[in-house]
Parts: sequence; C-alpha cells; structure tokens
Amino acid sequence: MPLFECIELSKAFGGLQAVDNLTFHVDQHEIVSIIGPNGAGKTTVFNLISGFYRPDYGQITLDGDDITGLPSHLITQKGIARTFQNVRLFFNMSIMENVLVGQHSRTKGGVFSVILRTPGYKREQEKARATALKQLSFFGTRLAGYRQNQPANVLSYANRRRLEIARAMATEPKLLLLDEPAAGMNPKETLEMADNIRRLRDERGFTILAIEHDMKVVGGISDRVIAMDYGKKIAEGSYKEVTDDPKVIEAYLGTQGGSFTSK
Amino acid sequence: MSIKPGIRYGIISFGILFYLSILGLPLPRTLGGFGTLALGLFWAVLVLISLVTMRETDQRRYTTIEAVTGGLLISAIAGFGMALVVGLFGRLIADGVQVNTVFAQVLPEWVGTFTGQTKQEVQAGVSATTALLRFALLMTSAGFLGAIVSRGLTHSSRERWHDWINSPFMYWLVIAMPFVFYVWYFALARGILGATNTSISGLVLACLFVTAVLVALRRVRDKRRRLVFGIAFVVMLILLPQIGDQFQNTVLNKIAIFSVVGIGLNIVLGYAGMLHLGYIAFFAVGAYAYGLLASPDSYFVINFMGGDGITFWQGLLVAAIVGALMGIIFGVPILRTRGDYLAIVTLGFGQITFLLLLNLREFTGGPGGVLDIPPPTLFGVDLGSAESILYLAMIMLAVVAFMTLRLNDSRIGRSWRAMKEDEDVAATMGINLSTTKLVAFAIGAAFAAVAGVLYATRQVNIFPDNFALKQSIDILSLVIIGGLGSIEGVVLGAVAFAGLPEILREAENYRIVAFGALLVAMMILRPQGLLPPLEHEEDIDVSDRRQDAWLQIFDAEEDDQDSAETGATGTD
Repeated sequence: MPLFECIELSKAFGGLQAVDNLTFHVDQHEIVSIIGPNGAGKTTVFNLISGFYRPDYGQITLDGDDITGLPSHLITQKGIARTFQNVRLFFNMSIMENVLVGQHSRTKGGVFSVILRTPGYKREQEKARATALKQLSFFGTRLAGYRQNQPANVLSYANRRRLEIARAMATEPKLLLLDEPAAGMNPKETLEMADNIRRLRDERGFTILAIEHDMKVVGGISDRVIAMDYGKKIAEGSYKEVTDDPKVIEAYLGTQGGSFTSK
Repeated sequence: MSIKPGIRYGIISFGILFYLSILGLPLPRTLGGFGTLALGLFWAVLVLISLVTMRETDQRRYTTIEAVTGGLLISAIAGFGMALVVGLFGRLIADGVQVNTVFAQVLPEWVGTFTGQTKQEVQAGVSATTALLRFALLMTSAGFLGAIVSRGLTHSSRERWHDWINSPFMYWLVIAMPFVFYVWYFALARGILGATNTSISGLVLACLFVTAVLVALRRVRDKRRRLVFGIAFVVMLILLPQIGDQFQNTVLNKIAIFSVVGIGLNIVLGYAGMLHLGYIAFFAVGAYAYGLLASPDSYFVINFMGGDGITFWQGLLVAAIVGALMGIIFGVPILRTRGDYLAIVTLGFGQITFLLLLNLREFTGGPGGVLDIPPPTLFGVDLGSAESILYLAMIMLAVVAFMTLRLNDSRIGRSWRAMKEDEDVAATMGINLSTTKLVAFAIGAAFAAVAGVLYATRQVNIFPDNFALKQSIDILSLVIIGGLGSIEGVVLGAVAFAGLPEILREAENYRIVAFGALLVAMMILRPQGLLPPLEHEEDIDVSDRRQDAWLQIFDAEEDDQDSAETGATGTD
C-alpha cells in the first residue's frame, strides 16, 4: 500500500477546472516531483492536500487514513507538512521560534502547565528545543548557531527557504510537500538545495512530494515525475520517460516544439 | 545651503507655536518659574526636529555653519514672529478690542505670560517692546542650542550614535535615573526641598520613576545585574505608596489597573493579532460582576443573597471565571472573521454591553450605576484606601505580567504570534486556530475582568459611562502607544494615558490636542510604540551586523554565492 494516495481528486473554481480527476500515489521513501506549465494546477493540488481547500470530488489518504477535507491543523497532525511557493515565514519571530512553532502539534502543554512551568512541560519543551535544533542543524551553520535567536526577517532569501523547510521538518511529517524549493535561487544554491532534498530522504527518511520548475533539480532528485496540464495528469514515470513524452513537450513548448531534453 | 529650508521651517515652527498658543498652551503659566526654561527647551526641540527633517529631506548632513544658520533662522523667525503676534494682541487688548470672542484663550494673562506683565499693565497698554525683544532673543538662543544638539546628532553616523547609546556612561545613567527620581520624589514629598504644593510635581516624579524603571530594566541584559536591580526596583516600588499622598496614590493605582487591562488587550491584539474594539466590555463585566454581587443596594444581593454580598476575593474569582466565559462567548461568533470585520463586530459587542448596562435598569441600576461597592478587607482590615488599592493593583499587575511573560514564551504564546503573522501557515503548522483564538480571548478577558473588580472597588460607585466606547479606544491607544506586544510598553502607555491627563489637568484644553498630536506623531515616527518588544527595537544588533559583514567577505572568499544577508530579499 502506498504511503500517500490521491484518488480522482477534482477541484473547480467557478468555471475553471483547476484539478481534474487526478490520481497518483507516493510510496514510502520516495521523491516524487510534479511538473507542469504555469496554471497547470500544481499548487492547487498542494492546497487540497494541506486542507486549504476542500476537494469537490475524490479522496486523499495518508497511511490508509482518509484525510479528505480535514482542517489544516489536523492534516499536519496526521503527518503532512508543506512549504510555500512564496516563502511564508513568521518573520517577526526568531529563527528558533519559527521551528518551535512546527513542534506545536507534537507538544501538549496547556495554559496552566505553561504558567506553572510543571516538570512535564519543561521536559516537553526541552525535547521540542532539541528537535528544533536538530532540524536547524540540517542546514549546517546557516540557521543554527549565533543566528538562531535573531528574527527570521534578517535572513537572506535562500536561508528563508531553508528555514521554511526546517520548520516543516519540525512538524515531524510522514510526507513533506515542497512547493518550488529552488525557486529564485542562483545555480549554486539550486544545486545545494537539490542535494539537501536528497539528504532529507536519505538521512532523515522523509517521503517527499515536490513541485519544481528547475528541470535540473527535477532530474537530479526525482524517483518519479508527474506532469500536469490544465489540472490533468498528462504523464507519469521516470524523469526520462516524462520529459520525452510528446504530450509533455507539447504542453511546455506547443505542437511545433522540438525535444525537451535537447534544450 | 540651509537658508531657504531654514526660512521654510521657521514659518512652519511659528505656525505650530502660534496654533498651540492660541489654543491655550500656556506653558509659562502652568509651570510657574520653570515656564521660560520649559518654553526654551520646547523651542530647542522644535528646531532640532526641523533640522533633522531638513537633513532627511536634503539627503545629506549639514556642516556646523549650515546647522547653526538654519537653527538660528528657524528660532529667530518663530521667536520674533511670536513676539510680533503677542505685541499685536497686546495692543488690540489695550485698545479695548474683544480679542477673546474669536480666540478664546487670548486674554490679558496670555499676553502677560510672554511679556512678564500683569493683567492690569496689559490692559493699560504699557509698552512691552523690550520684554518682547528679550523674549525673542531668548528663544533664538534656545534655537541655537537645538542647532548644536542637532549637529551632534545628525553629523555622527548611525554606528557612532549607536556606540554612544551603548556607552557605559549611558548605561549607568539609564540605571541611575530610577534612583534619582525616587530620591527626588521622596525628598519632595517629605518637604525636604522646601516646596509646599507638591501634589502634581510629585506625581510627575512618580511617573518618571516608573518610566525610568521600565527603561532601565530593558537596558540591563546581564542576568545577575538584572536580578540585583530588579530586586532594588521591587523594594522601591513596595515602598512607593508610603511616599505619596492620597492624590498621587489614586493616580498611580489607576495606572496599575489600566496596565492590567492593557496587558489583557495586549494578549488579544499584540500577540494574537485580533483588533478587539469592544474590549472594555470585559472590564465592565468584571466591575459589574463584583458590584452587583457585593453592593448592598444591588438587586441580586437584596433578592437572592439575603443582603450579604460576596467579598472582594470571591469577586476576583467570580470575575475571572465570568470574564473568561464572556471572552469565549463573544469569541465564538468571530472565529471566522478577520481584520477589519473583526474590529467592526467587536465594536458592536462593546456597544451591546454598554447599552445593556444602561438599559437593564432593574438589574444594573441603569444610568444610576451601582453604588456603595464595598472595599476589600483582609482579616477585618479595611483595604479601601488609595494606598491599599495601589498595593493590590501592583500585586495584580505583577501576577498578570508574570503569567503573560510565561505564556508568551511558550507553545501557546508562539501559536498566538504565529497566528498573528499568518493564519494559514499557522494552521499548516498544526495550530488549531479556533482554540488558539478562544484561549487568547478567554485569558485577555479574564485579566480585564479582575482589573474591573479592583476598579469597581476603587471607584466605589460605577456607572455605564465608565465603560463606554471612549474608554475602549483609550485602552487600545495605550497599548499601541506603549508598544504592541511588550509588557513594559503597556505599562508606559498606561502612565501616559492614566497619568498624563492628571498631570496636564491645568492645561485641560490643550490635553486633547496634545493627545491627538501625540498619536499622529507616534504612528508616523515610531509605529512600533515607545517600548516595543525587544526583537522589533532593532532588526539586528550592530555587533551582529559587523559579524555578518565579516561573514560576507568570508563567503565571497569561499566563492559561496549565498545572497547578501542584509541586502535584497526575495525576488519572488
């Protein structure tokens, strides 16, 4: 049984069928990329999975649990975390606090235990801090160390993206959704990010579903690629299979286009 | 050159001064002997602001000569302008023209405050040319002082300014200030300084002391020193009510009570980011809950409790519970509203509460209010004096502040702040928005309600008018002025909103204008508030900035193309 499955997922905004009868799955320890031209419905798929929208039709399951239409925070508790296409950090909170927020659903302390600082609450907080620090250290000294108590808005763009991933990791998800993790990065940072995504799987054991435009990253990380256009899945398979698929080439380059990989 | 802008700002300054003075800003008269000095300082500040603004507009620093020329021009134009106007009005008054039918504040005394003449002399038309000339020259020299200071401020770079602020001298000066004001306050109150009518000036010193404590506590970061000075300040605060007279303690306990209310609103607005315009309703509920269950005249006490009301301590408990419940009941319908809509709906809740208090005559006493609310007692000792209430209020403030600090630095506080910044993202971090909001409402409302109990017993008689929209706006303003999200800020805001009106009581007409101007100026110049939460005060410490600069060089050498840390952010 796959870890994560979308079955016949559909969502329309007025007359626009943003996601149309989409079925796919992600296996444990797999990295799957979704590609597609702008407006293909990739981010809508993420928004459906993470509970921002309710699907009109279809089913989403994680580990055999039906999570269709649950509110966002319950989906996160079940084990799905995401990042955003346009980085959305808590900019006025410190870097450490950003990651600690990720631990929210994994901790329990209520109002009274917080005010009284009960031993149980202290233990829980120490654990949360340790987890947060572990996630920050995933990116070496870029986020951890002297920087971790500074507000997130002092970070550079690339580090903001990294922090967003660290924050998602801190929710201890089974499935990590990365929305264009390498967008806006320079070539060197892009390569590093691709490497990081592989490490997320190999070292931390996350299963990853990513939206990505940078074909080098897609080729470098994906076990499987899903291509979308007009809300439909038009191709699925290995990177080579998908990029050679005439329908994919047509979606990106039009009918007159040449081979995608020779570009 | 600075001549043209100097003339321009001179005319603007003159306009400001003229406007304030015809509104009845009688600084010399209010402050007695210190009047001229205060006016001179005011003048200097005006020139200072003008020069800094000029520099900002010109995008460059002024040389000493330019600064002095500009400063002298500004103050001379304003000074001689004022002298001219005063002279003109003096002439008109002497000629028997009823100037005060148009400018209500322009009385013979008004002219006299500038010329040093008595009312009779002004009316008799005694020439005041020399006095006015002297006044203009005095103010011009005050402007010169402002120019020098501005030159000192604007000519140094940001880092040097920062170094100066961080110098050991400034550090110890800031720490010394609370002690200075405290001793001064003590000396004044005990008559050591020989002054007699000390109520207002003592209050000023007490307020300054509180302010200085807040600033000093923020400045001392070292843990051990924090502890030492913290204990010293606490001891001083414990003895504070012993120094003051009844008037000062009454004002101080109002400040403390409003701080508690402000801290409650700060949870809802500053942390959780929900603009609650009807927040005063919770304060009212607390006050009325105690009033109606304790006052011997109340409907409930007479009909259900056999004439025996509850005690103050029971009242606190009842108010906390009722307040929290109210917070939740008012909170549920607004869970799904955000921003502007939330503000409007909560405004409605505030009005509903006010109108219910006003119109449920049978239960609440209507406009007649609740009378004879009993004072708190402990082991039979009456704690109704201003001094005892101040102690109670300080204890309450300490407890509430402590609870808030702990909440803020916890998963609950973090979930509030995360929700404030981005609700959607907070939800994807596993935060249940509904419970998080309701917890914030419940705690904020409970704080306001217990403050309400203390307020009710302080006032003895409470009326719906104590809890009208205006008070809601006042509490909102004190939180914003002080600094959203910071407890010290809220207390300072309470000093400004509960203390300043008493201090400025003699200049009542001027007070509203000053408050309006203060609000506008604050929002433009320091939108984060007087004492904002530390992380907002400065994005990053200078030392860190230097460290980052060093890292950038290091990164470049390593050919690490990490984007510049302080440079452009986000091309997305």
